[in-house]
Amino acid sequence: MRALRCGDERFEPVVKTTSDGYEVRVSGEAFSFSVDEESAGVFVLRNGSRTVRFHLAREGTTTHLFWDGAAYCLTDEREGERPGRRHDTGALEAPMPGRVAAVKAEPGQRVARGEELLIVEAMKMENALRAPRAGVVRAVHVTPGEMVAPGRPLVEIEADP
Amino acid sequence: MCPPGLCAELLRVPLFRKVLIANRGEIAVRIIRTCRAMGIPTVAVFSEADRSARHVVEADESFAIGPAEALRSYLSIDALIDAVRRSKAEAVHPGYGFLSQNADFADAVRDAGLVFIGPPGDVHRRMGDKREARRLMAQAGVPVLPGYDGDDQSDARLLAEAKMVGWPVMLKPSRGGGGKGMRVVRRGEDFESALAASRRESKAAFGDDAMVIERCLDRPRHVEVQIVADGRGAILHLGERECSVQRRHQKVVEETPSPALSEDQRAALCEAGVAAARAADYVNAGTVEFLLAPDGTFSFLEMNTRLQVEHPVTEAVTGIDIVRLQLEVAAGRPLALSPEDVAPRGHALECRLYAEDPGNDDLPSPGRILHLEEPEGPGVRVDSGLAVGSEVTVHYDPLLAKIITWGFDRREALERMREALRRTVVLGVVTNLARLQAVVGHPQFEAGALHTGFIEEHLSELTPSPCPPLEAVAAVAASLAHVRRRGVGGRGPTRVAPDPWASLGFWRLGDGP
Repeated sequence: MRALRCGDERFEPVVKTTSDGYEVRVSGEAFSFSVDEESAGVFVLRNGSRTVRFHLAREGTTTHLFWDGAAYCLTDEREGERPGRRHDTGALEAPMPGRVAAVKAEPGQRVARGEELLIVEAMKMENALRAPRAGVVRAVHVTPGEMVAPGRPLVEIEADP
Repeated sequence: MCPPGLCAELLRVPLFRKVLIANRGEIAVRIIRTCRAMGIPTVAVFSEADRSARHVVEADESFAIGPAEALRSYLSIDALIDAVRRSKAEAVHPGYGFLSQNADFADAVRDAGLVFIGPPGDVHRRMGDKREARRLMAQAGVPVLPGYDGDDQSDARLLAEAKMVGWPVMLKPSRGGGGKGMRVVRRGEDFESALAASRRESKAAFGDDAMVIERCLDRPRHVEVQIVADGRGAILHLGERECSVQRRHQKVVEETPSPALSEDQRAALCEAGVAAARAADYVNAGTVEFLLAPDGTFSFLEMNTRLQVEHPVTEAVTGIDIVRLQLEVAAGRPLALSPEDVAPRGHALECRLYAEDPGNDDLPSPGRILHLEEPEGPGVRVDSGLAVGSEVTVHYDPLLAKIITWGFDRREALERMREALRRTVVLGVVTNLARLQAVVGHPQFEAGALHTGFIEEHLSELTPSPCPPLEAVAAVAASLAHVRRRGVGGRGPTRVAPDPWASLGFWRLGDGP
């Protein structure tokens, strides 16, 4: 069993080889086509007379996809992983490396979903980081001026019951 | 004038023996292109983060200038002057951003006996002070917004002046830039706290807390005039650009001509641009920015004393290479063009591709470029600093590339832009590509109904869905299995680089239910 995650959605495609390509079932739909790698990372899907050229690049467990004019990120997920578990802990994590320019939340404070909690400076810009959920701030783990790496927990929020 | 034979001889001699580009990314690459075409050898500079960046590879020579932090590399005057000396370059092009509008850098280059490709330090100083610039423009008859730019900077005086101007007002740090410390104040009771916050931010960012107060316009458009001055009295304008589509004071989509202006308004605006440049005693290429109110009146906003990010749209309609003009003027040549030579034709658009995630509050998204395909075709130009394998770091501006399209009219330029954006493949970092597509596909954009709050107003329609269609998910699953199978089965050489696919073991065929 394996799955691909994209935002809040989880896909569990099942791939079978056929005489002239693949049959894939995903989310209740079935697709038949052939796939060829035209050059490194460039793929061509053929379904009868129809062709779709698309691009893939892998990095760790992430698949970057360019399909029909748009880019997407899909992440591998193994069986047993709960959807959205990481994002459900109420912790606001640093989404990118940067410097904490300001902290606007303090422990005990009640915050609304989307409320500005911190400003992190990266790429010359000041970026507002917002509360992922409504609740009460339990802990603030950083102070202004500090450098943070991606994934570092910044603020913990206890959800409203 | 020189005798005919000698003239031709002189024209074959490059303007400079060598030019150093004190910048990085797409603008360094773009400047290198013109230098190359003119037979001028180029020198790139790079921080530790940029050792193998595209601008370094494209230049003839390159010099390290320090660590990744911009303050100790691209913003270090000492490191740059040292690189200029070591490279024996004769002139320095500062690009945009970094030290391009830094008066001390312009002076340092001159003091080292070299040529700064841009205006001299005193022009940067004059126009970098918003109060002085406003006063200068008002004296020269260039329209400015009702406001206050006086020396009495007491809180009480500023409040009294704000009341005279009328709410809402815009508070701007006099020495500011990039939107830092700027605030809209809508009511008198909010003024005191807003002023304190603006002063604090301004002091921290610019070391000065003097403020300018200006009337805040409702739904203004941003229009600007490209000018070039040769320092011998000739000042030429190359028409206007409209840059109303912005996000957090950052321009996103630009075009020329502005769909908002009549011929009479355009002539008046461009004339004001030339008057502003004359008042500033301007030399080299620069841009005079204006706000255009819904009633059609325009007012001076600020002057950018450098090459502008969006200069290619002007180049597309005029056929004039602005960097070439910069080099010629900096070399002491008189402007070779007269106003009659400037005959804009058609319409041009520019979209800025940023490493920012529109699905996540436009936060920057660093990463490594894993795959890249730049669009091409009739009327398409791409100015890019990207290469496969290059790192997009948090140290610098998130601008990755600019896509410029030209068309016989706005409609054709727009069609070409939509198609070019569909062909712009950047994998590895999240970009604002989908946001750009949504903007240029929006009916209000198509109608030319723009204002500086356009993105905020239409944000919900301009935020892309994170998920691909089901067929694409199926194609991904099949492709991963396909690559895995070929790799394991050893059927013919795989063209996939082994590294990115190393973690593919997870994806196997035939063990589905």
